[in-house]
Amino acid sequence: MFKIADKTELNQISLTGVRGIVLAGLLIMQPRSLEEIRKAFIELNIMENENSDDILRIDLNTLKIMGCEISRASAKTGFKYVLGKHPFAFKIDDEEIGLLKKAYNQAKTHTDMLGILSYDDLFRKIASRVCEEDKKEALLGISILKRYDIEMLKDLLLDCSQGRTLNLVYKKPSSTSEESKEVVAQKLVFQNDKVYLYGFDLEKKDSVVLLVNRIKSILSRKLEKVELEQNATKIRFTMEASSFTELKDGEVILDSQDGTFVVEGNYHNDFLAMQRVLSLGSKCVVTEPVEFKNAIITKLKEMRDSYGN
Amino acid sequence: MGTKEAVKRNQSSMQVLKTLQLLLEDNYTMSELIHKLNANEKEPVFNNSVVSKYINTCRFCGLDIPKIHNKYFVASLPFGIDLSARELDLIEELQNAVKNTMSSKADGAFNDFLEKLSKYSNKKIIRVEQKTKQQAFELFDKAVAEKRRINLLFRAKAVFECIPLRIVEKKGKTCFNVIHDGKEKTISAERISGLEIMDRRFKQPDSNSTQEVVFKLTGGLAQRYSLKENEELYKKELPESITVINRGENKEDLFARLLRYDSSCEILQPAHYREEMKSLIEEMLRNYEA
Repeated sequence: MFKIADKTELNQISLTGVRGIVLAGLLIMQPRSLEEIRKAFIELNIMENENSDDILRIDLNTLKIMGCEISRASAKTGFKYVLGKHPFAFKIDDEEIGLLKKAYNQAKTHTDMLGILSYDDLFRKIASRVCEEDKKEALLGISILKRYDIEMLKDLLLDCSQGRTLNLVYKKPSSTSEESKEVVAQKLVFQNDKVYLYGFDLEKKDSVVLLVNRIKSILSRKLEKVELEQNATKIRFTMEASSFTELKDGEVILDSQDGTFVVEGNYHNDFLAMQRVLSLGSKCVVTEPVEFKNAIITKLKEMRDSYGN
Repeated sequence: MGTKEAVKRNQSSMQVLKTLQLLLEDNYTMSELIHKLNANEKEPVFNNSVVSKYINTCRFCGLDIPKIHNKYFVASLPFGIDLSARELDLIEELQNAVKNTMSSKADGAFNDFLEKLSKYSNKKIIRVEQKTKQQAFELFDKAVAEKRRINLLFRAKAVFECIPLRIVEKKGKTCFNVIHDGKEKTISAERISGLEIMDRRFKQPDSNSTQEVVFKLTGGLAQRYSLKENEELYKKELPESITVINRGENKEDLFARLLRYDSSCEILQPAHYREEMKSLIEEMLRNYEA
């Protein structure tokens, strides 16, 4: 982090000033014991081996006079000096936090799961350099993942990438009781401000979509891959080009004629395919397969019926 | 005596820290700095030479404090926020979201916020924009000097891990000359949104800055050829030929130059340079076949 001092250069600068900056930097990065500070100073050539620790205490006092809150190095802190509030912290005001939040709310609509996790990391990193607790909390509160167990999300991403089988406890949205499930993890998806686990339920032998914040615990993981007899839902539909704004994951344009796209879409299950097609409204017409086309017709009839004849 | 000396030394440290604190808050000219620093003193203790010494002290500690338009400012802190390439990309997405969906006042406020955030970062990474372009070039040169790999973030979102070679001018545009995937590339700075210095160093033999190109010159050219700064004589068989080792010349420049030497020049190594030159010549020939 800091360069080793060349003693010939020290005439042009303030040695105590160097020690002050280095000490502030060391404590901003993490709590340090007197021995660790001493070792760092000697390695950086800004303190001699024979110098007394009093020099370090004076340096610590200097920082305190400058407005740094430094705790006593006691057993409670592992005999380390912990820096609290200090004048070199990153200062952020409510207006800036509000602006960041608005920008994030816009940006996250086009972001995938990895992006959402990265945003969470970014806000944490910035918050770690802010001293005021209320500002720190407000910064962390921007992230949509603030109520999620981040470690669980990261584990699930890994599970999905390796197709692991999870034995998990899940609380259905429609039920008050919890149930245990054996699910092959396939994909973690961020959609409509929620995180979903796409998987295959080994008991029901069917695709399943679980809300991650309803997964109460993961009891065990099996590392070996399971051969699944699962077919993604593949459909084709036509769509008026002028109304088609973006392709979703798994969709490709097969043809384009007279202002109409022929799109093939692969979805995790019929439900998600149905959601997608319906969301595209009247400009979208399913052409294949006939069964799915009929299912859409049935669904639309149900919808129409719900409004009454 | 000891105590008196200790207090004296503390004073100097405090004054350096006060200087740093001010520079973190805003950009100041020397006279503004002196004025602000003396404002809290009973009698003026800060003057031009003292403040210069303190700025140098900060710089000695690794703080990047450039002076632009007569104003000093902190461009990076060695112990600042360590932003990754991915995070820089996210910041750009946030910036775009503000630019595209909010008022110009909000856009200005967000840019001010980013400028402040940049002061508190360790700036192994930089957003490449009009006003930060010069700093990005300085960062690139630093990577070349320290032999560190870099990540170039393209506006189109791709990230290239590269070995930095040099900054070059091409068709009036400033470009980054790098090696990516073993191939030398010249990339316009306009296509780049961010630049990150990585901790990983590149070894001398990996670098095209020491990419050796061996070519043979014959005839009259062999006798009159003046070696360039980055060249050495490998074999001298005068009057017939000389064999030259060229290191680190931009490939396009080198090819253009060697083409000028027409049949008096032959690239011997590396094999892919030889092949590329051959293809280039064949392509040029095809232009005349139609």
